[in-house]
Amino acid sequence: MSLAAPAFRTHCHRDAACSSVTEVRSVELKFCYGFMGDWTGRIRAMNKSFGSHFLTVGSLTAASEPDVAPRVPGRELVRATTLANGLKIVVWPVHDIPNVALNNWVRAGSRNESPGITGLAHFFEHMMFNGTTRRQPGEFDRLMEAQGGANNAFTSDDVTVYQDWFPRNALELVLDLESDRVANLAFAPAVIESERGVVYSERRLRVEDNNQGMLSEQVQATAFVAHPYRFPTIGWPADIQTWRMEDLQQFFKTYYAPNNLTLVLAGDLVPEQVFELARRYFESIPRQAPPEEIKSPEPEQLGERHFVIKRKAQTPLLQYAYKAPAAADSRGPAVNLLLSILVDGDSSRLHRQLVEETQLAIEVGGHWQEGFDPGLLWLFLTLPEGADVDEVQAAVDTELADIVEHGVTDAELARAKNMTAAGFWKKLATIDGKAQLLGEYEIFHGDWLKLFDAPALFDKVTRAQVQSAAREILDKRRRTVGVLVPEDAAASPEDTAALPEDTGA
Amino acid sequence: MSVAVPTIAVPGIADAQVGGVSVPAHERIVLPNGMTLIVMPRHDIPLVSFNAVLRGGESACAPGKSGVASLVAGLLEKGAAKRDAFEFVDAVEGVGGTFNAAAGPESIAIRGQFLARDQKLMLELLADALLRPRFKLEELENLRARQIELIKAAKDSDPSELIGTYGRAFLFRGHPFARPVIGSETSLAAITHRDIVDYYHNHFRADQLTLVVAGDVDSVWLKRAVTRAFADWPRSNRPINKLPQPVRVSERSVLLVDSPGSVQTYFWIGNVGVDRHYPDRAALELANTLYGGRFTSILNTELRVKSGLTYGARSGFTRGSVAGEFAIRSFAQTQDTGKALDLSLQTLQQLKEGAVTAEMLDSARAYVLGQYPLDFETAMDWAVALGEIELYGLGAGYIEDYGTQLRNVTLPQMHAVIETAFPSPDAVAIVLIGDAAELRTQVGRYGPITEMPLTRPDFDGDARPPG
Repeated sequence: MSLAAPAFRTHCHRDAACSSVTEVRSVELKFCYGFMGDWTGRIRAMNKSFGSHFLTVGSLTAASEPDVAPRVPGRELVRATTLANGLKIVVWPVHDIPNVALNNWVRAGSRNESPGITGLAHFFEHMMFNGTTRRQPGEFDRLMEAQGGANNAFTSDDVTVYQDWFPRNALELVLDLESDRVANLAFAPAVIESERGVVYSERRLRVEDNNQGMLSEQVQATAFVAHPYRFPTIGWPADIQTWRMEDLQQFFKTYYAPNNLTLVLAGDLVPEQVFELARRYFESIPRQAPPEEIKSPEPEQLGERHFVIKRKAQTPLLQYAYKAPAAADSRGPAVNLLLSILVDGDSSRLHRQLVEETQLAIEVGGHWQEGFDPGLLWLFLTLPEGADVDEVQAAVDTELADIVEHGVTDAELARAKNMTAAGFWKKLATIDGKAQLLGEYEIFHGDWLKLFDAPALFDKVTRAQVQSAAREILDKRRRTVGVLVPEDAAASPEDTAALPEDTGA
Repeated sequence: MSVAVPTIAVPGIADAQVGGVSVPAHERIVLPNGMTLIVMPRHDIPLVSFNAVLRGGESACAPGKSGVASLVAGLLEKGAAKRDAFEFVDAVEGVGGTFNAAAGPESIAIRGQFLARDQKLMLELLADALLRPRFKLEELENLRARQIELIKAAKDSDPSELIGTYGRAFLFRGHPFARPVIGSETSLAAITHRDIVDYYHNHFRADQLTLVVAGDVDSVWLKRAVTRAFADWPRSNRPINKLPQPVRVSERSVLLVDSPGSVQTYFWIGNVGVDRHYPDRAALELANTLYGGRFTSILNTELRVKSGLTYGARSGFTRGSVAGEFAIRSFAQTQDTGKALDLSLQTLQQLKEGAVTAEMLDSARAYVLGQYPLDFETAMDWAVALGEIELYGLGAGYIEDYGTQLRNVTLPQMHAVIETAFPSPDAVAIVLIGDAAELRTQVGRYGPITEMPLTRPDFDGDARPPG
């Protein structure tokens, strides 16, 4: 049982929490945070972080068997092509079940927003289901479901991804529907107004009635002062209520161009047929000028930022956000392994020390926001009612200082590598996981082929590299600490400030 | 805006393989002591998955002791045989394995996954946890304290995830299905070490266990090793614990869980539904798909697509050895609560009055058939499915014949299922988590209100039995 990163940076089109429950799952997870996952068999790929999971079966494992890493199958099966208008298509044929998973990656997220239109990328994700000049609102879903397909979408800081899961014989329909909404999206004023309500309801669910979500939104907004990663993906309330038709049209023209999209499919497919259908349905969509680069890189953070929020609550929360590298950084595997050593599983350092040994916390989690630009490495802690927050912060600092100063053990590194390898295989076991991994590599690392090299990169990471990643990232001067305490709790004088403040430099 | 849809591919159900799921070859063995072992080799990925299902679960616990089964499950990972809690988890995670035990209403299940090369260790850990758990008092106290705090944390950050727990407590009052599997803050605090040990001795017996192992497994070795490891485990000879049939409510009543300052109301509308052996399961799933089981459902169309009141509205049946609940779940901002409840009840009325057409039936059929194979992609999917079939005594046809059953559902069958399995909007238990001060006047018209604060340390408060 682990608390995954709260879903705050990723917002979905569909409500996973209330998905159909027509079968009793024989097991209800015993802790509440795991509950959702067990009940959502058909809603796939929700709220997944872009954390990578790779194969390593290396020399540091505890097993006595010889170290022959199983080869990752698929490299020779995957085919890719790029249409004349710049649309790239990657196909991984797998014939285990007669189904297909399709992801349409759009290189647009809340990173591409500006003040006044925050939340627009996510709103767009909703609008993409709401009709085209050829099909009325609702037709997209009605046609897809009538042929056995289901769909969803999510938006993050960096990307918007549209996902379809369907029986193989619905391929042509799905490509038709996907191309239609890129080529012919309609902007009906009544639909826009109704969808504002839906998005605001999502915001209430994830942020306003959710202490974890509320705190992380504030941490993110405090951690960045210039870069658009400071915007909440769901959008600030005033922006949700006021963005205009022209904003939508401009955003669509810029970002929903074929040269800014990548289609990834895995499943019961013949690549040449997919390419042929893609040409038929997508090739007439004109290419656009590439979007502008992000103009404001985040300046160096000069001191720790620390703030306290008071809310209706029983359990205090503590979140840390350290400045961390971009996804494609060569230190990536070391960063992932560092995070795994800190928070992955009940044998991880922070869980063992803070949850089991000292019982200062009831839940510890972490997340590296792997994006196009340098982002954040998060740690989340949920504390028991009445906890002494200062004491917990001191204990966290002791643990983090220890890993910076003394590094990690061989056993810890081997464990992290093995857990990562197992997670990788688990993902490869489904067409959805295959499509996701291919897409993440193509988008964030520049080439789907790198997926197949990743296991070796993870395997090569040394203790020294993990320690140096810890030294570079776990630097107090480059972190933001958010604390949420119950509003009726006795406060120390310095905790009364409601606004973020720079306590360093 | 007219709609010109170009030629599209053949309808979903024309492809014989679509929706067709056949159960891969496997062996089922009953050991002399009554333990059932199922082995399903699949060598596509170097992982082995297991699912060990023990009859019992929350419904086998004493009233007032909710959470015993859940704590027993949690303690299985907290030390067994030669390993203490830390050594046990180090052994699992050191090789990249997973090992999770959890309770449900009618069982405890231990599920895990290991790289194929570690299957020997996997079996050793599983046998230790089942046969030789330590149940250290200190571990119990820690786990219990933590579980109590996790319930509070869920109330702070995810009240909607607790609404089913409140709903069942209100609807099934007096029946074991009313009890929270996770326990409540009050019931957990009352659990003693004796309760844990008693549960173990009563329910952890060979004839209560089905072990399913699927994946990249050496089945010859596994059968021998399992037989050896579990040979001395005694049987209990307990008859299967038969639960009473829950009784449907016949009137409407409201449980209002007060969360002051909440900007949205999370609601649940339910009544007793049908059980695992319900003969018209295919028609039931198609009817629910159309009512509240997919995005274009009647319910979601009204509450989300047309009115923008909510991010999502869904319905579903939970089915156990006896009838579980049918429930609608959704949420809306506080001042729109009445509007959203009205629409939910109206759609239920429309469903009962025959809103489903032949065209809708065909669409639902294609949808369920099209999605069905995705439920059986991995070795773990199969381990879970076969475990359920054993627990409820369903037979392999439960999976293999389902496609045919779906293809054969007729409109009259659908209408019959809607008539018998779905509740009337006049006879439902309604649970709301929201700001009571804002809600009392809005929701009084739905029936008598029972009120309790969200911070109250149990889920049933002084709630009167509804209807």
